[in-house]
This record gives sequence, C-alpha cells and structure tokens, in this order.
Amino acid sequence: MSNAKERKHAKKMRNQPTNVTLSSGFVADSGVKYHNGGRKPFQSQKEPHSGTSRQWQTKMSHHSLAESDAKEQSSSRVTFKKKGGWKAGPEGTSQEIPKYITASTFAQARAAEISAMLKAVAQKSSNSLVFQTLPRHMRRRAMSHNVKRLPRRLQEIAQKEAEKAVHQKKEHSKNKCHKARRCHINRMLEFNRRQKKNKWLETHIWHAKRFHMVKRWGYCLGERPTVKSHRACYRAMTSRCLLQDLSYYCCLELKGKEEEILKALSPMCSIDTGLTFAAVHCLSGKHQGSLMLYRANKYPREMLGPVTFIWKAERTPGDTSESRHLWIWLHPSLKQDILEEIKAVCQCVEPTKSTVCLPDPLLTPSQEKSRTDLPTEKIGKKRKWKDDEENAKPIKKVIGDGTRDPLQPYSWISPTTGIVISDLTMEMNRFRLIGPLAHSILTEALKAASVHTEGEDTEKTPHCWWIEACRNPDSVSLHHRQETIFELLGGITSPAEIPAGTILGLTVGDPRINLPQKRSKVLPNPEKCQDNEKVRQLLLEGVPVECSHSFLWNQDICKSVTENKIPDQIYRGARVGGLKETVVHSQYKRSPNVPGDFPDCPAGILFAEEQAKNLLEKYKRRPPAKRPNYVKLGTLAPFCCPWEQLTRDWESRVQAQDESSAASSPGGEESSLRRDVVPCAPMPGRTRQLSDDEGTPLNDSSEPKGVMDTDGPARPGTEGVVGQGATGSLLCVLRSRKLLRQLSAWCGPSSGNSRAAARAPGTGQQELRREACLSILDRFPKALVWVRLSLLRKGSPEPHTMICVPAEEDLLQLSQDRLYCGPQEPKHSDPFKSQIRKQKEKKKLEKRQKRGCAASEGLAEGDPAAGQQPLTLGLWSGPLPVVTSHCSRVLLGFVTQGDFSMAVGCGEALGFVSLTGLLDMLSSQPGVERGLVLLRPPASLQYRFARIVIEV
Amino acid sequence: MVRFKHRYLLCEVVSDDPRCRLSLEDRVLGGLVRDTIARVHGTFGAAACSIGFAVRYLNAYTGIVLLRCRKEFYRLVWSALPFITYLENRGHHYPCFLNTLHVGGTIRTCQKFLIQYNRRQLLILLQNCTDEGEREAIQKSVTRSCLLEESSAGEELSDSGGEETAEAME
Repeated sequence: MSNAKERKHAKKMRNQPTNVTLSSGFVADSGVKYHNGGRKPFQSQKEPHSGTSRQWQTKMSHHSLAESDAKEQSSSRVTFKKKGGWKAGPEGTSQEIPKYITASTFAQARAAEISAMLKAVAQKSSNSLVFQTLPRHMRRRAMSHNVKRLPRRLQEIAQKEAEKAVHQKKEHSKNKCHKARRCHINRMLEFNRRQKKNKWLETHIWHAKRFHMVKRWGYCLGERPTVKSHRACYRAMTSRCLLQDLSYYCCLELKGKEEEILKALSPMCSIDTGLTFAAVHCLSGKHQGSLMLYRANKYPREMLGPVTFIWKAERTPGDTSESRHLWIWLHPSLKQDILEEIKAVCQCVEPTKSTVCLPDPLLTPSQEKSRTDLPTEKIGKKRKWKDDEENAKPIKKVIGDGTRDPLQPYSWISPTTGIVISDLTMEMNRFRLIGPLAHSILTEALKAASVHTEGEDTEKTPHCWWIEACRNPDSVSLHHRQETIFELLGGITSPAEIPAGTILGLTVGDPRINLPQKRSKVLPNPEKCQDNEKVRQLLLEGVPVECSHSFLWNQDICKSVTENKIPDQIYRGARVGGLKETVVHSQYKRSPNVPGDFPDCPAGILFAEEQAKNLLEKYKRRPPAKRPNYVKLGTLAPFCCPWEQLTRDWESRVQAQDESSAASSPGGEESSLRRDVVPCAPMPGRTRQLSDDEGTPLNDSSEPKGVMDTDGPARPGTEGVVGQGATGSLLCVLRSRKLLRQLSAWCGPSSGNSRAAARAPGTGQQELRREACLSILDRFPKALVWVRLSLLRKGSPEPHTMICVPAEEDLLQLSQDRLYCGPQEPKHSDPFKSQIRKQKEKKKLEKRQKRGCAASEGLAEGDPAAGQQPLTLGLWSGPLPVVTSHCSRVLLGFVTQGDFSMAVGCGEALGFVSLTGLLDMLSSQPGVERGLVLLRPPASLQYRFARIVIEV
Repeated sequence: MVRFKHRYLLCEVVSDDPRCRLSLEDRVLGGLVRDTIARVHGTFGAAACSIGFAVRYLNAYTGIVLLRCRKEFYRLVWSALPFITYLENRGHHYPCFLNTLHVGGTIRTCQKFLIQYNRRQLLILLQNCTDEGEREAIQKSVTRSCLLEESSAGEELSDSGGEETAEAME
C-alpha cells in the first residue's frame, strides 16, 4: 500500500525540479538526472572541491567548456568522491574558494534553472487528463472522444493520452468484431457453449431478460420476475391469466400393447392412492391422468414421485390389438429414479439403435439456422386441467436435455414384451396457462390452420405433412370438428367448467402471423357465450374422443414445428411466472409441490438437504448478534425437517403412553410386527449401509415392550445419528384416499359426540375410536400426513414452522377468550454458549502460546483444535434430543409451505404431521376443539392457533 | 475545492560570501526561518507558521529558495524574512539576506515567474557585461535557454515516451 503511494508520489514529482545545492553539483544543465543525489544532505562536505575546481577551470579555459566536458567532470567528480575520504573535505575547501564570482557561471546557473522550471511548468503533474486541466469555459462536449475538439496546442498531448488509454485497455478477448459476433451462426455457437452445463429452455433468452435465473435440475430456469410482481401474479392467477413455461418437464414415451404396458406398470401404482394408468377415461385418450409412482410392489413405501400421463387416443375405438402410446410427464428431479424403475418393470434393457436420431450437441450452425427459419406452422396440443390449462406443442430439438448425457441412449426396447421406452425430454415445449382468461387468450392467440386446397403449391418441405393430411378427407373433417370445439372454448368464462384434464388436439397456424400490433387485454367475448346449447353439451360430455387425436404423435412432424410462443400470448395480456409462482400456485391449489413436498421420495430428500445447506450458509453470513439464536428459541431444526426422528419419537411416545395406561392390545402389536417385516426386507439393489440402517429400527420395534420402555430415554441419542444416515428409508406419506377421507372427517370439529355418531353410519365413516386408530397405525407405523393449516387469527407461517399440539389450558383459554392469540414459549437456555466461549478462549490461549513457544510445539497443539467441529452460535450442534418434547408444547410436524394467502385472506400453511401424533392428538381433544393445533415459526416464541384440514 | 491553501514565497538568498552558498541546504534554511519567526513573532507565531511550513525548492547556485506556508499565516513568515541576516552552518556564520521575489498560490505560478525572472536577469547580465569572453558565454547560455524553451514541447514528447517505457519496465 505504502509502496504504491510512494510510487504515485514519485510519478507526480518526477517533473518537478529538485533542490540544487552545491553538494549535488551543478548538474541541472545536463537534464534532471540527479534526482537522488539532490536530497542527500551530507554530501556537501565533499562537494566544494568540485564546484570550485570547476569554477577555476571555467575561468581558466575561458568558458569554452562543452557540455560533454561538464558531464565528464561530474562523473569524475563522482568517482573522486567515492575514492576520497570525505572527512578531509572541509579543510580543503576554505582555501580553494575563489574570492570573486564570474558572470558566466551565474548565467549558466540561471539558464539551467530556467530549463528545469520550464520542464516543470510545461508538463502537467497531476493524474488528470489533458482536457480536464482546461478551464471550464473551454471545455467542449465529447472532448475525450474527439481530439480535435481540444485547443490545438493540447491536441498532440491528448492524442498521446488517448493512445495510451487504448493501450492500457484490456486486450479484447474476442477476436471477432461485434458484427461478426452478433451474426446468427456465431451467436448460436456461443449459446451452445454457454448451455453446456445447464440446458436452456427455448424461451431462455426471453426469460433471461426478465427473470432472475437459477440453475436447477440441469436447466436454467426463471425463478421470479425481476419486477415486483407477487401480487400481480396472484391477480393474474385469479382474474386473468398466468403463463408458465413448463418445458423442463420430462416426457417418457412407452410404446407397446396396451395390456402389456398396463401389466408392467401396475405394480408401480396402487389403487389406494387414486386412479391408476388403467383409468377408463384416461385410457381412451380423452383425459390426462395423474398418479403417484412407487417402486414396484413397495407401496406404501419408497415413493418415486408424482407423474401425469396421457394415452394416445385410439384412432378407431375397438381395435386394442395395435400398439398404444403412453406419455408420462414428470419432474426432472424425479426422472432418473422413475426411468430406471420403469425400465426395470418393463424389462427394457436393450438400447435401440439410438445413434441415428441422437440429439447432436454439435449441431452445425447452418443446420440450426435452416431449422429456425423454415417452420411457419405448428401443432398445438392443449390440456385443460382444473383451473389451469396446458399447451404443449412440439419443437425443434435445440440441443439435448439437461437430465442426461447426450451420448447416452434414450430409447430402450424389451425383448419379451415388445414395449419401447423412449425419452422425449426437451422434444416438446409445454406451457401452462392459469386463470379464467386462459381460454380466451388461447383462442385469440391460436388460429386453427387453414386447410390446404389441391391447387396450392407444395414445395414447402416442412409442411408437406400438413398438405398430406389435407388430402385425406377424414383428417380434414376431424380438423374442422376440432376447430369448432376450439372456437367454443373461447366462450367459456372459466376453465373450471370443463372437466379436468381434458385433451384437445388441434393444428394451428403460425401465431406470429396474426400477432397484434399493440399489447392488449383479452376479454371473454359475450357473443360466443350465446352459443349455450353447444357449450352445455361440451361441458357435459367433454371433448369427443376423436378430437383428442393430434398429429403431434407423429415423430417426424414433431421435429418440424416451432416455438416463439410466449410473446404473442403476452401481447394478449398473459403474465408470465417463474418457479416461485409455481410454488405459490401449488400452495393455493393446496397440492404438494414437486419435489420439495415429497419427503419420502429420493428427490425430495435431496432437495431438503440442498435447501438446508443454502439456508445454513445464509444464516452464517450474518453476524451472531443479528441473527436469531435458535437454541434459545427452542428450535432444534430451523433449516430442515427431521421427519424420521419425528415419527420415531412419536412412536416411542405413544408406546410409552400405552405402557402407562396398560390398555394396548397384544394383537395389534403382533400385526404391526408382521407389517413391519414385509417392507423392511433388505433388497439386493440397495447398498450395504442402507440395509444396515434399516435393520436397526426394525430390531427396535420387534423387541419386547419391556425392553423398549427401559430403552426409551437412551434411544433418541443413539438413533439420532443413525437417522441422519438412513435418509428416511422407512418413512412414508399417507396417500391412501380412503384413510385420508376418514382422517379429514375426524379432523373437523364435531358439535357433539352424539351427532357425530348419528352421522357416522349414514356416511359410512368410522367414528374416531381407539381400535380404528390402532388399525391405521398398524398399517402405517411411521407415516406422515399432508395437512393444510389455516390460521384462526393473526400470524403468517413460513416454511419450517413447527406444528404443535395445544395443551389443555390453551384450549381452555381459547374457549374463554376468542381473541386469545396463543401461548408463548418460555425462553430456553443456550448450553452451547459457554462451550463456544471456552473454545474461543482456548484458541486465544493457543495463539498466545504459539507466539511464545517454538513452532513445533504450536503445530502439535494446533492439531486437536482443528479436529474439533466449530460450533455455530445459535444452532443446535450434535445429535438432536427428543424433538417432540423439546418445547413446552408437543411437536406434531412441520410446515413445508406457508405464507399469507391472498385467496383466503389469512395465513395458510401446508405441511406434514406425524400420523401417530395426529391420531393421538385427535383422540385426546374434545369434539368442539378437535383439529386445533399451534403453529410457531422457527424464529419466534409466539404460538398461534390454526385449524388442521386434511386434503384428500 | 476542498484542500489546504498555501502561499509560496519565492526568495533569493543574497550573500557576499561565496561560502554561504556552500552551506545553503533546505534543512539549514528551514531551521533558520523557523528560528527567526520564533524570535520575531514569539511562540504563537512559531506554532502558527510551523504547520505546513516547508522548503520546496532550493538552488544553491542561483540562491533561489521556495518556501511554503499556510495561507492564513504567510504574512507572519513574510514579515520575519527580513530579519534573517546570516546563515549559520556548523558553527560558521555567513552574513546574507533574503530578497522576496514573488508570492504565489501554487508552485506552478512561482515556477513561471522564476522563468521570467531568470530570463530578465540573463538579459541584464548580458547588457552589463564588459568582458568579451564572458559576454560570449552569457550569450551562449541565453540562447541555450531560449532554445530549450522552444524545444521543450518536443522534449516533452520524447521524455514522456521514455517514461512510458520506464514504467512498463517497472
């Protein structure tokens, strides 16, 4: 630093004249070469010699000394100075000093000074540029850019300065000029280079200009708009239209005989969780279905993830012998597991000759270009689904997809069943339109393609398929029917009026052709609403089967159809949302969000780990005084939800209760043992470690009760470590519709036991009784339940908020005072604070010792300190204690999504609770207050009341 | 602008004794001026003038001295200068006095003045010179200074070029 300062100073002073004493010699005339010598004070003792001798010389030689001579002298002088001892100097000087002075030396000195001063004055010394030294009234616009705007006397200097600046500028790394870089070919190459790691969607550039992009699941995705738009997006969702690009969803295609496919896939899904692949209305191709996939024969454990699926419509209903297509849409984070499992169940092992149509990452630019230019028509495929509606259409393949290597095969065939699985990821774009105006926007934006007549020219290659299709009268009539239905859609005021998951195939013209000049808002056309009878028929019957056929199924056609869709829907008033909007939307839909809300599937676990890591990093960035001390707040796990431990704690807790009351039936216990054994059988595919982990809890649960009880206090400590490694292999989420329905009936407040009992036989619901609970618990020993929580009064929950069981006095107080906010958690003490302080002191001591003693000792001492894990102030370190009873209220579960809900007008949260705990709580609560829980955010001590609702 | 404003006193040391020039150094001169101020203006004056006081330039051959002080108290310094009557160095006393040539706000103006002044002095020398040989020598130096002035612009260019290379080498 000081060095740089000195250098700067030296640079500033380099043109300034230095002091000229006799000590430094008369050197000014030979330039300013004696910078250094000038300031040394004590050389003077020597100097008189030279000065005087010189004077003598000049006098004697009649001033005919040339400059060179002077220089020689000076050099000789220097040597002399070095040779001679300089103590002898002063005595000699006094004798040699002349008695008079000549005018010539005087003149010479003056001349030298003039030159030195001239140099100093003429050269600017400051760091400013030339034009900056000009007085203000002489400054002109863009002087730094154009030298000629400067006064002429300064132009030369400015020229040099400009050159210098150019020289100093960093060398342009790109060897191409701007124009060349912007040309299409090179741009494409550059884009391809930039998406080597994380793939782009087709709308990437459009999104990147308007969104905060995140790299996730191998793609670059827009997380949220850069503009403030939380509320605007909500409004768009409820009253207008929100558009989302879901092209990153993966699509798997299964081709084969219907029975074969169904047979192969049936072990992966359960009728318990809802409809399967074999649902009638889906099988016909009229509707899109959605379901949960499990590992084959592993239900209810080892969930793989939720998927949606579409069967290709049968062209002619009746002949089931021909091969059918099944498309499975799934989230990219789930893809690897599901693909592997599907391959396993279908026994598809042989990759087909995939090299032919492999997505080539090194697409030559020329090809790329031709592809983007040519297509002018596209196929739209549309699905409506509750209040959202999706539009999928095929695209040209840009460059592979983010979830697999480009060189991997993407198609497999089974030799026994003849099923072909192919991975169609990134082959199609998929958009989702949410909101009541979705249909209006779609009908505005898309116009059904005009039918080609015979007379028209047919040289356009990419559309030959359409011309071919137009020759066939069947397909033309089909197209007309599709068109009329599509027209009808424009008159429907809300997408909710149409059966969920309806599919409509349609061939549309290029929407770019009829792009509106100005951005406008679409309003539902009232004229179209007049068409009541047709609409009613449509609503009742749904779209006819034939109409869901689309040319989209044909692979060749897929390739030739294009994109650039978003802008034209934007022009019609749709708002575009990102990932955050997806989360918000799923929250309003009260459906679990993929993959964050699936704690029992591998992708969900991975996601939770990543989230915990990020949150912890963020937490550690703040200074300890500016962040909540979670230990004092009694929050054990502020960044992750320890589901495994939660369920285990509840299990042991309930068992302990049973012990004390001695009311448990031995039969139930027996059955639970039986149940446990089946899922826990070690599988060959799993790693040794995992099966070990599975083994430990299994042993625990099969132990006799007495042992269990004594083990009780010791268990959490030992198993906390195990649980962290086991990654929830035993965990499952309750998804059986029947049980969920029953639970939701129990959760509601019943006005009185008698009425509930009276209602129970009529609805076929069981009353909440001990036996019923036990039977459920036996089937799902360590289960979580997906619940919705709506707050009674104040409070807005956030993720990782704790769901707790209210104590009796809380409910009592609430019944007395309706405005009662909720109890407060007493402050906890921080047992780690003293540890941290000790560590710090130790460190300090070590440092001091290190400084004091030898290096070898310090090293030896440093090692143990490094081995210790550094404690973070405000976080629980080491294995967690019993999570359920750590706070004053018993912990039931955690919230995974939570926010102020603008749809409801109060705080709303979604989360999981332990099934064991939930049943325990419900059975202990009186009828009126049944289903009330307490919520406490991780950074607060205040509990808030909320009502639990179970979504079926 | 936000800066400390200074005054620069451009003075000339006039002495009969040539040995006086020998002992003309910035440190000696600075101490001398400080002592004089303390003598003339007392402790207050010494303290007031000691802030920012410096000898910025000194030429023993021509006896030109550039003193810097704060603008607020330059009058104190200035008024103390006539009281300097001798230069003391290592026990020797050389009688001399300081003749103030110019008072400026920046070094630059002082330098400009000094150029003018020196040129004038040279011309006076030339006019008053009687000896033929000396006359020639003076003429030579005068022309040299003039030439220097003309070529200064050119020199600058070459100089700065050289500096650039030097910087690059650093």
